[in-house]
Amino acid sequence: MSSDATEPKWSLRLPADCSIAAIRNVYDLIREAFGRQDRLEIDCSSVDKADVTSIQLLLSTARTGEAQGRPVVLKSFSQSLRNTLRRAGFASDAMIDQHFPQKKDGA
Amino acid sequence: MSAMDPTEVFRQEASELFEVLEGALLDLGQRPDDRELVDSAFRALHTIKGSGAMFGFDKVASFTHEFETAFDRVRKGEIKPTQELISVALAAKDYIRALIEDPQSTDDIIGEGILDDLKRFVFSDPPAAPVVEIAVAPPLAPAESKQAGWHLYLEFESHILRNGSNPLDLLEDLCKLGPCFVVPVTDGIPFLDEMEPEDCYLKWDVKLHAACDKDAIDDVFMFVSDEMKLTLSPLEQVEAPAPMPLFQLLDEEPAPVAEMAAPVVEVAAAPVAVQPAAKPEPKSESRPEPKAEAKRDDRGIATVRVQAERLDELMDRVGELVIAQARLTQLAASGSDLSIKMIAEEIERLASSLRDTTMGARMVPIGSLFGRFRRLIHDLSRDLSKPVDFVTTGEDTELDKTMIECLADPLVHLIRNAIDHGIEDTATRSANGKTEQGRIELAAVHSGAQVLVTVKDNGGGLNTARIRAKAEEQGLIAAGAVLTDHEIHQFLFHPGFSTAQTISALSGRGVGMDVVKRTIENMRGTIDLSTKPGQGTTVTLRLPLTLAIIEGLLIRVGEGRYIIPLSAVEECIELTAEDERSRGRNFLNVRGNLVPFLRLREIMTATGAPDRHQKTIIISTGETHVGLVADQIIGNHQTVIKSLSKLHSDVTIFSGATILGDGTAALILDVAQLVALAQSKVEKQHISEAA
Repeated sequence: MSSDATEPKWSLRLPADCSIAAIRNVYDLIREAFGRQDRLEIDCSSVDKADVTSIQLLLSTARTGEAQGRPVVLKSFSQSLRNTLRRAGFASDAMIDQHFPQKKDGA
Repeated sequence: MSAMDPTEVFRQEASELFEVLEGALLDLGQRPDDRELVDSAFRALHTIKGSGAMFGFDKVASFTHEFETAFDRVRKGEIKPTQELISVALAAKDYIRALIEDPQSTDDIIGEGILDDLKRFVFSDPPAAPVVEIAVAPPLAPAESKQAGWHLYLEFESHILRNGSNPLDLLEDLCKLGPCFVVPVTDGIPFLDEMEPEDCYLKWDVKLHAACDKDAIDDVFMFVSDEMKLTLSPLEQVEAPAPMPLFQLLDEEPAPVAEMAAPVVEVAAAPVAVQPAAKPEPKSESRPEPKAEAKRDDRGIATVRVQAERLDELMDRVGELVIAQARLTQLAASGSDLSIKMIAEEIERLASSLRDTTMGARMVPIGSLFGRFRRLIHDLSRDLSKPVDFVTTGEDTELDKTMIECLADPLVHLIRNAIDHGIEDTATRSANGKTEQGRIELAAVHSGAQVLVTVKDNGGGLNTARIRAKAEEQGLIAAGAVLTDHEIHQFLFHPGFSTAQTISALSGRGVGMDVVKRTIENMRGTIDLSTKPGQGTTVTLRLPLTLAIIEGLLIRVGEGRYIIPLSAVEECIELTAEDERSRGRNFLNVRGNLVPFLRLREIMTATGAPDRHQKTIIISTGETHVGLVADQIIGNHQTVIKSLSKLHSDVTIFSGATILGDGTAALILDVAQLVALAQSKVEKQHISEAA
């Protein structure tokens, strides 16, 4: 997914708990962010608890953004999120990159 | 409507799992070879552990893990579930429950002590351990040893994550069997608007490069087998060489992309096209059967968890609606507008239907209560060294949830009494030609609009002479007073009355039976005792189905209006002139049977002239029938029960009040008290006639 770095963006930092216990709140946050017209950037650096629901939500966010022509960029995957992704079979950075549109730190 | 707190959901689900676990453990004590029970206990433990970890109850997860590990030897058939082991397992269950419900009350030392006990029973190989007899399944199935492994396709039911199951843990377990190549299948992920964030949409395609037995794979998924579709087929040897095990990689730092490039490209290129390879594969084994799966789906949709207080609120609203509807009906009846009358009738019909539906939603099988007593009996039986066979019947009988809650304490007391005072010790039983094992039966059955709950023991029965002596000693009766056995037994319900010669931790202080009786009567129920010397005692509780709204019979006595619960009404007859003439004797001849009757005008001290044609309403509690003479029978009335104020606490013949359609109040007659009053009059009459 390409995006113009100069267009206005809306950043959302995911909370530490993105597990099933809190996923409904995270879902609401992302949907609310989607309501804005800006480019959406989701910072995953604080995610400390992740599970299948977090992975699914991020996949759905990316898919929805792509379908709506709304750029969604995920950035700064925490080690915890990365480990969860790998446990779910997203076994390498390349594979993660393929499913989750990422902005590399500093990029 | 706000969503329930997830931790509260966990607590509720854990509570249900504890019941399952406890039931399975107690049953194992009697049927140690029943594999189903072991699996059931293990499944409950596993779910508590998984859910506990998910909802942040780390201590629960950690303790349960240890418990599960120890209990695994039982599951594998390596040790037998002895009574000692079951007692420790029950203690461990109690500890987990405390960790969830009241963590402040727990102490790590206690938990460690329980685990030490558990491990002592489980891991110290007993001298006669049947190790030799156990045929350990070989990891490799000889017939299939040539195959390269297995191709699995995992599809979970959408709700599986809510149950506390974690597919990632299962994948991890699977990878312990051998090198695994796991590919997530993401085509089921919906757009945000269509998503339920707690549902499971991911599926997995897994190639397991290990020639393990199929049973080993089944074992990995045994706890979720009903909630997933597992497609399993042998992997051909010519397929790709085993990749680096996934979880071996995970233990290390994330591998550089370059190192992983080869397998990644292969997988990432076609993550959704991983359905069985190009070659035709043998017929897949699939679980569960589609039919069963469809059935389960239906069940899932048909059940919704609702907070209890919302049901209470709903019942209150329905009560208010019923009162408003009664006013409307009365108003419509007093006018001449036909269309208003039709609407009032329609609303009456709808209100009645809504009342029944709401009451139905509050009904809970009494079995949920009975289950708790198995543990009580188990512990008491052990502590008192009195082996007891506990039998329950009628667990499906439904009662209003409030009734179930109120019934717990009285039943605990009755069961304690039965085992402590009723059942004799083994030596006495043997000497009396009885089996050493006593028997306590707890039964529930519908009887009209009531539920009968009985606690029956086959112990020594009540000692009427001793009860009488104690009553005389306490000055409750004069020495030599003429009393029936039934009257003497009623002293057991007197506050502070006990015939126990020693006070134990369980009973003997004389506190309890009066509370039991008061609790049951507060529920508009009755309690009755019957006993046979040497054969045992039966306590019968008669309870209304609900505490909120009842069908009543509205009557008039003088200027006052009263409600008789319709469930107690047998029939209505006119008081004949002959019956009238029998004033002083107060008996009716109902088809040849003499039935005592009470003149409500006298009891209510009604003024004014009585109606010319007096009516008699025959009411009953069990086998006892009594007539109530009133001026007029007005008709049926949906009665929303309101409590009487404390000012009226000494008025025993009323159990509550209700609001009538015209806004006035009517008192609800307490049938049990009226029957007792009539009986007492009859007995006094007999005694005076005998004298």
